[in-house]
Amino acid sequence: MWSAIKSVLAALIGVQSDQQRRTDFSSGKPVVFIVVAIGVACIFVIMLAALASMAAR
Amino acid sequence: MRSPWRWLLSVTFIASIPQAQASGWNMPVGVTDISRDIYGLHMTIFWVCVVIGVIVFGVMFYSLFRYRHSKGAKAAHFHEHTSVEVLWTAIPVVILIGMAVPATATLKNMYDTSQADLDIMITGQQWRWRYEYLGEDVAFTSNMSTPWEQIRGEEPRGEHYLLDVDEPLVLPINRKVRFLMTSDDVIHSWWVPELAVKQDTIPGFINENWVQINEPGIYRGQCAELCGVNHAFMPVVVHAVEEDEFEVWLAERKEAAEQEAMGIDREWELAELMERGEAVYRAICSSCHQPEGQGAPPAFPALANNEQLISDLDWHIDLVVNGVSGTAMPAFRSTLNPVEIAAVVTFTRNSWGNDTGDAVQPSTISGWIAQ
Ligand code: HEC
Ligand SMILES: [Cu+2]
Repeated sequence: MWSAIKSVLAALIGVQSDQQRRTDFSSGKPVVFIVVAIGVACIFVIMLAALASMAAR
Repeated sequence: MRSPWRWLLSVTFIASIPQAQASGWNMPVGVTDISRDIYGLHMTIFWVCVVIGVIVFGVMFYSLFRYRHSKGAKAAHFHEHTSVEVLWTAIPVVILIGMAVPATATLKNMYDTSQADLDIMITGQQWRWRYEYLGEDVAFTSNMSTPWEQIRGEEPRGEHYLLDVDEPLVLPINRKVRFLMTSDDVIHSWWVPELAVKQDTIPGFINENWVQINEPGIYRGQCAELCGVNHAFMPVVVHAVEEDEFEVWLAERKEAAEQEAMGIDREWELAELMERGEAVYRAICSSCHQPEGQGAPPAFPALANNEQLISDLDWHIDLVVNGVSGTAMPAFRSTLNPVEIAAVVTFTRNSWGNDTGDAVQPSTISGWIAQ
């Protein structure tokens, strides 16, 4: 789980090592990555919305 | 690296910047706090970009030159370098946030239209601006006053070619003036660079903006949204004056508005109506129906020697008061007052060979509008 989060975060800013990619592809389950990625995307949107409403105050 | 060319280039570049500003290549600094903020932001971000550009292209050209093939350079083959990648993601993020903070502060300030000392309704119309000083009973339209002879090239161009109006918008300095902006027909955009205001005026919507001008002066702008054939002929002129001077002007305008209101009830002479009507026709109607009433068929019918117009007064009045819906012929019931409508109808009925002798009275028109 932790390694899936790390991979998703690395993908978010576009840095991922080739070795980590290989491990993810050989041992990880796709559904874990999809769920984590959707979660991270939601958190990102909520963060942006919070920041925007903070700035607008 | 120490090439003299490089020095020469950067020195001439930097030296050319004040010149660019003076020659009008750069945006104006303007005469409001907001316009100065915007200018400051623009220059800061410009210099940030220059520094980034110099570093990035410097490294690139240096590497190209230093590690060139003819010197036996061999390409490195590695796939990733996480710390460098993190670094070149983090640095732009920091720079972007550094630019976003002051930009957001300025934007917030620009959108804060609360606590204005004066409200002005600005309405775009094909092809003029209408200004209403809300709560003051002062309203007028501002038409381009550049003569058609200059536009057609028959006369040399004046100093403020296409940037002159018959009645400028008069504003007090040092007071927060709120603009409520809309349009009667298509989208226009009210733009005065020196005031850092460029706001679309959209039919059915009211946009807000505000200015607080620091220096008296005359500031010129244009419609900045393509709005039809005479888009280039609806300039904006703002006359910023000292506060007491503004009060005097406003009082005079109110007085004139009252005089005009009284004029509705009295009987007007034909000559008076003709004189007034000619001014209205030149300012409002001539852009479509042409200066000599010859029209531009088939789009704009001729008014000179127009049989129906000459024979049917009621039809003529109704047409000008209510317009022709679905065509470019606007209704003038709310944009011209009864005196102006009576005058322009009288003028068209007695010009360019039209010879009815009718002197249409303002009271007739106000009765027509009331129906
Ligand atoms: C934006 C362009 C425009 C402006 C400005 C304009 N008109 Fe018109 N006008 C038209 C058009 C288009 C028609 C034709 C309407 C139709 O199809 O019936 C028309 C028709 C007329 C007619 C009827 C002529 C005919 O034979 O059908 C009269 C009279 C007239 N206008 C008077 C005026 C007067 C007076 C003004 C100024 C106060 C004015 N117009 C301003 C576009 C304009
Ligand atoms: Cu326009």
